Amino acid sequence: MMASVVANGNQDGQSLVLNGVDPETCMIVFKNHWAQVVKILEKHDPLRSSSMHPTLSVINLGVGSGGVHRFGPIPGDEASAVQNYVEHMLFLLMEEESGQGGCMGPILEFVVMENVMERLFVWSLRREFTDEMKLEQLKMYEMLVGQARQPLLHHKPILRPLMMLLSSCSGTAAPAVEAELVLLLNQLCCILAKDPSILELFFHTSEDQGATNFLIFSLLIPYIHREGTVGQQARDALLLIMSLSAENERVARHVVENTYFCPVLATGLSGLYSSLPTKLEVPNEEWHCLHKVDWMRMPSLVQFLNSLEFCNAVIQVAHPSIKDQLVAYIYNGFLVPVLAPALHKLTLEEVMTTTAYLDLFLRSISETSLLQTFLSFILLHQHESVYILDTLVSRINTPFQLGTVSMALFRTLIGFYCEDVMLQLILRYLIPCNHMMLSQRRVVRERDFYSTSAAKMLALTPSCCSPDHSPPPLRQLDSILFSKGGADTPNSSSTADEQKSFSEEDDSSGNSCTIGSEIYLDVSYLHYLYDARLSISSCIRACQVWSALYDAEDPPPEKYQPGVLEEPKLEGRQTQTALKRVPKLLVSNARSGLPRGEPPSIHQLELEWDDSYDACPVQTTETPVEGKPAHLSPSEPPKHIQEMRRTAIMLVKGSYIEENEFQDDVMVYNLVAKKDSSEAEHAEETQSDPAHAPLRNGLTLPTSLVSDNDKNSLKAKAKGQTDCNGNLQNATPVESGEDFLAQYEELICILDSEGRGKRVKGDRELNKPVSPVEEEEEEEMDFMSFTAETPEPEKLQSPFGTVQRLRSGSSNRCYSVPFTGPFISVLFSRLENMLTNPLHVNLLLTGILAQLAAYPQPLLRSFLLNTNLVFQPTVRSLYQVLATVKSQIEELSASRLDFPERITAAQHWLLAREASFTATDKGGSCGSRQQDGGRILKSSPPPKPKAISLDQTEVFATVLFAEFLKELSAITQEHSILSYIPVEE
Amino acid sequence: EGVTCSLSTARPDEEQGGHADQKTSPARTSHKKHLPPIPKNAVPITKPASVGTPSHLANGTHASYGPFYLEYSLMAEFTLVIKQKLPGIYVQPSYKSALMWFGVIFIRHGLYQDGVFKFTVYIPDNYPDGECPKLVFDTPVFHPLVDPVSGELDVKRAFTKWRRNHNHIWQVLMYARTVFYKINTAEPLNPEAAVLYEKDGQLFKSKVVDGVKLCNSHLFDQPKVDDPFAISFSPWNPAVHDEAKERMFTFKRRPEEHHKGAQVSGLSWVKPGSTQPFSKVDSPQS
Repeated sequence: MMASVVANGNQDGQSLVLNGVDPETCMIVFKNHWAQVVKILEKHDPLRSSSMHPTLSVINLGVGSGGVHRFGPIPGDEASAVQNYVEHMLFLLMEEESGQGGCMGPILEFVVMENVMERLFVWSLRREFTDEMKLEQLKMYEMLVGQARQPLLHHKPILRPLMMLLSSCSGTAAPAVEAELVLLLNQLCCILAKDPSILELFFHTSEDQGATNFLIFSLLIPYIHREGTVGQQARDALLLIMSLSAENERVARHVVENTYFCPVLATGLSGLYSSLPTKLEVPNEEWHCLHKVDWMRMPSLVQFLNSLEFCNAVIQVAHPSIKDQLVAYIYNGFLVPVLAPALHKLTLEEVMTTTAYLDLFLRSISETSLLQTFLSFILLHQHESVYILDTLVSRINTPFQLGTVSMALFRTLIGFYCEDVMLQLILRYLIPCNHMMLSQRRVVRERDFYSTSAAKMLALTPSCCSPDHSPPPLRQLDSILFSKGGADTPNSSSTADEQKSFSEEDDSSGNSCTIGSEIYLDVSYLHYLYDARLSISSCIRACQVWSALYDAEDPPPEKYQPGVLEEPKLEGRQTQTALKRVPKLLVSNARSGLPRGEPPSIHQLELEWDDSYDACPVQTTETPVEGKPAHLSPSEPPKHIQEMRRTAIMLVKGSYIEENEFQDDVMVYNLVAKKDSSEAEHAEETQSDPAHAPLRNGLTLPTSLVSDNDKNSLKAKAKGQTDCNGNLQNATPVESGEDFLAQYEELICILDSEGRGKRVKGDRELNKPVSPVEEEEEEEMDFMSFTAETPEPEKLQSPFGTVQRLRSGSSNRCYSVPFTGPFISVLFSRLENMLTNPLHVNLLLTGILAQLAAYPQPLLRSFLLNTNLVFQPTVRSLYQVLATVKSQIEELSASRLDFPERITAAQHWLLAREASFTATDKGGSCGSRQQDGGRILKSSPPPKPKAISLDQTEVFATVLFAEFLKELSAITQEHSILSYIPVEE
Repeated sequence: EGVTCSLSTARPDEEQGGHADQKTSPARTSHKKHLPPIPKNAVPITKPASVGTPSHLANGTHASYGPFYLEYSLMAEFTLVIKQKLPGIYVQPSYKSALMWFGVIFIRHGLYQDGVFKFTVYIPDNYPDGECPKLVFDTPVFHPLVDPVSGELDVKRAFTKWRRNHNHIWQVLMYARTVFYKINTAEPLNPEAAVLYEKDGQLFKSKVVDGVKLCNSHLFDQPKVDDPFAISFSPWNPAVHDEAKERMFTFKRRPEEHHKGAQVSGLSWVKPGSTQPFSKVDSPQS
C-alpha cells in the first residue's frame, strides 16, 4: 500500500535516484502524474464540478447529482494507480530544493496552485475514510513535514488539508492511528518551536472554520496522562508549546481562556492518584520512604510521577498566566479534594501510604512555585479545621511505621531550607523568646568561643562508650598525628639562645609551641566535623534568601508575645488569589464536574475540538473543584466544643495524640509515657478478644477499626488503638457542654492515675522515667496546666475556660506557658525514649535533629546547642533530654555485666552494615534533593547480625547515642566558626 | 615602591597602600577553616598514647577532644580578626601549628611611616586560660616597647591578665598597631629608644627611619621559619601577580557569583517584617 511504501522509502535511497536529474524533468514528471491522478479523481467526483478547486465547504458526500458510478465504490485498480502516482509525486516534492531567495520551488508552487493536497484529502474522504486511510494520510504528512527541503507549512493549500485531516482524527480510538497522530503533532510542534512565525497561520487556519482555535494543541491534551511513548511524545510536544507561550501572549491567552489544559492536568493527577495502591506492601519494618527502587516497581506510581513531572515542567517553562492557573487547579483540584482526605483515611496503613506518597511527591518537585503550592497546602490548609501540618506532626509520635514515615516526610521538609516551613514548625515558638529567661536574650547571639557547649555535649558520653573501653579494632581513636609539625617537632623547646636563627628547624627562639606532637584523636570525630561543616555551610548559603535573621532581635520578640503571634489567615491566600485568576468560564464549568461528564454545551463553539477529552484515559469523577474553602455550617456546634470533644475522645482512645494537644511539653510527655506503658499490656489484652479492642478505661473499640488484613501479630492488634482518625469522625456527639466537661475531667483523672500506676508496673528496667526530681516537676506542671486561666478575653464563658488551652492548634495558638512547639516536643519525647526505639527510628530521629542543628538562625541554634543558655524551668532543652538518656544508659550498664561486650558487638554490626551500604550504594544513589547524609538507613534489608540481635534496642541506642553526641558537638564547633565568618557586602 | 606582599599560599595579597579595607577577603580564611590538619603523608604512629606529650586538659573533659577545642577556639579567634578588618594588618596561622601566626603590619603615617614589619604571634597552648599571646617582630624595631634583642613587643602591659571571653587576639594585633602611632615610654623594654624619644626627638626619628629602611631592605628575605604559610614578599611579577590581583578584584565585585556553582538555595515566601508563611505576595522567586 501506499503508506507502507511511502514510509519505507528512505530519503537516501531516493536522492540517489534523483541525483543529477534536473529540476525541469522532475517538474514534467510531476505534472504528468498529477494529470493522470486528476483524471481518476474527476471521474469519481460526486459533484462533477467544473471547478478545478473544489473546497471542502461544498463537499457533501450524501447529496450528489452525478451518475451512479460517481458514488459507487472506487475500483481497486484506480485507487492503487492514484497511490502510485501520489507516491512518486511526494518524493519529487520532498526532494525539491527551495527556489532562489527562498521562494517556492516550481513543484511546490504547482502543488499550491493546483491545491493538490486538499484534493488528495478529498479523494481519501471519497473513498472509505477508514482508520487505515487516516494512517496513510498521517504518515504521508509526517514524511512531508519531516523531510521536505523547503518550508511547506507556510502555505495554506498545504496547511489546510493537514488541519482537516488532524481534526478528522480527533475522535480516533485505534491505537495505531493515535500513535501516528501524536507523532505528527509532535513533529509539528518541533517545527513550531523552531519557527514561531508559522504560529499565526495555525491560528488563522482554525479561524477559517469559525473558531479561535489552536488545533494541534487541543488534539494533544487528551494524551497528557497516557503511559508509554504516545504519552511521552504528547507531553514533549505540549511542553514545546508551553515554552512558546512564555513568549507569545496569544498562545498563553488561548491556553488559559479557551482550553481545558490546566484543569485536565490537575484533575488528571487526581485520577491517577486514585489508581495508586491505597496500601503499600512494605518490605520490612525499617522501611520508611519510597526510594526509586520502590516506585519503579509500581507502574501506577511511575505514571503519576510522570504527570507530576510534566506539571512541574509546564510550570517551569510556560507563561505566568498558565503557571498560575495550573497551580491553582492543582491546589483546588488535587491537593484539597484528593490528597487531604487521603491523609485522613481510616486505617493506619492507608494514612502511612499517603504520607509516603506525599513525601515522594515533595522530593520529585523541582519547580519552586509548584513546591510552594504543596507546602502551602501542608502549612496552611485545614482539613476539618485542623492544619495538615499539625496532623502530620502529631503522627511522628505514633508507634509503627506511620511514625517513621512521618519522620521521613519531615526530614524532606526540613531539607528544603524553607523559611515558611521552619517558621511554622519551630521558629514561631521561639521568636517571642519566652522559652528563656529575659536576661538570656543577648546570649542567643553569643558565640561558643571555647567550645564549651561542645565539650559539655561530649561529656555526656556514657562511660561504657568511652573510647578507652573499645577493643583495638573498633578503636575509633586511631592514632593520628595531630600536630602539623611533622616528625621532627618535639625538640622545639630546646635552646633559646640565638635570635636570628634561619635554621630549618622550628623557630628555636623558645616561643614555638606547637600542640603536643603525638596526640591520639578520635578519627571519626574529624568526619563529623567535616560533615557538620558541609551541612552548615550549605544551610547558611541557602538561608540567605530568608526574610529575617531570627536572632532574638529580628523579628523583635516584643512584637510577638504569646498570643500576639499572628495567625495565618484561613486558607492560604494563595487559594483565593489563585482562584481569582481562573477564568470564570472554567470555574463555572469546574463546578459541574470537569473535565469529563457531559460536553459543555454553551461553550462548545468556543472550545471546538476540545470535547475530544473523551480520548482521555483518565476516569476522573473526583470531587469538583470547590470555589471556596469549606466553612463550618452554622448548624454545627461551636468550634471550641468540637475541639474539646476531639481532645477528650483522643484521651479516651489510648492517648494517641492526633490533634495536637500540645499545650505544653509536659502534657505531651505524659501522654507519650502513658501510651508507651499501655501498649504492651494492651496488646496482650486484645489477643484474648478478637472482636473488641478494650481500652484501659473500659471502653471498647469497634473491630472495624482494627486492621484486619494483618496476620496475628500483637502489633497489628494494637494498631486499633492508635488508629484514631476514623474514631474521631465516628464519635458520638456529646449533648451538653457542661456534661461533657465533667466527663472530660473525670477521664483525665482516670488516665492520670492509671497511667502512673501502669507505668511503674509495666516498665521494664529500661524504661524508668527520668529521675524522681523531674517526675515531681512534671506532676506540678500537670496540675498547673489544667487550672491555669486563659488570658484571652474573647474566649467563651467559664465552663470551658479551664480547658481552653487544650484547644487544638488549628484554632488558636497562644501559649501562656513557655512552649517550644509541638514539633520539638514530639521529637524530644521520642528522643527521650531512645533506648526503646528500634535502630532505624533512632537513625531517623537523630538525623532530623542534626539537620535542625545545622540551621544557622541564632534562635534555633542557641535553643538546640547552647548549653549555657538558661531556659525557663518548664522548657526542656535538648541537653536535658540527652542527659536523661545518658543516665538511663549508665544505670543500665551498671546493672548488666555484659553490656560492654554487647556494645562492641553492636559497633561491629553497625560498621559492617555501613561498609556494605557504601559498597552497594556507589552506583545508583537516589538523586533526591534531600541529603541522606551518608546515613546507614536504606530500604533494603540489612545483613543479619551475627552476634547481636536488633531487638536489643538499648545496646544499639547506646552506640548511636555516643555517636550522636559527637555529631552534635561537631556541629556546635563548626557553628562557632562558620556562623561568624563575615559575609561580603 | 613596587613591592608586593605575597603570602606563600599562592594567594598574593594586594597591598599598594590605601586599600586598607579591602584586604580581608573571606577567601583568606578558607585555608584555615578546615580542621583536618593531618598531613597527607603523615604516617599514623602506633605508639601508645601515653608516650606522647601529656594531654592538655585545661579545656575539656575528654582528653582526646582537647586539641579540637583548642583548634576551634583559635579558628574562632582568627575569624574574629578577619571581622575586625584591622587597617594595615595581615595575619595567617602557620601550617604547622595553629598556635603560631605569621603577620605583617603596614604603617601608613606618623613616625614609622612606610614601615613594613613582619612579626609572629605565639599563643600559649593552654589558651585561653594561660598568659597573653606573645608578639615578636622578625627584625627588632627601634621602639621603646620592643625588646631590641628578641624583637618581642611588650604586650603584657596592655593585658596584664588574659581573660577568656574578654580578651581576643585581634586586640593584641590592634595594640601592636597603636604602639607605632602613640608612643609610650614608661617602663620601656628598649630604654635607649625611650630616652631618645623623650630627650632628642630628632635623633629618635632618624634612628626610626634607619630602622624602617633596614627592615624594608630585608623584605624579600626568605621567611625566618620554614613554613608553607609563612609570609614572604617578592618583587612585583606581572606574570604571577596581575592575574591574582585581577581575580581578587573580580571576586570582590560579585561575591555571589562564587557560590553559584553550589546550587543550594533556600526558599522563602515570608514577607520581611512578617512572621506569616506565604505572606509575600507574588514572590519574585517563582
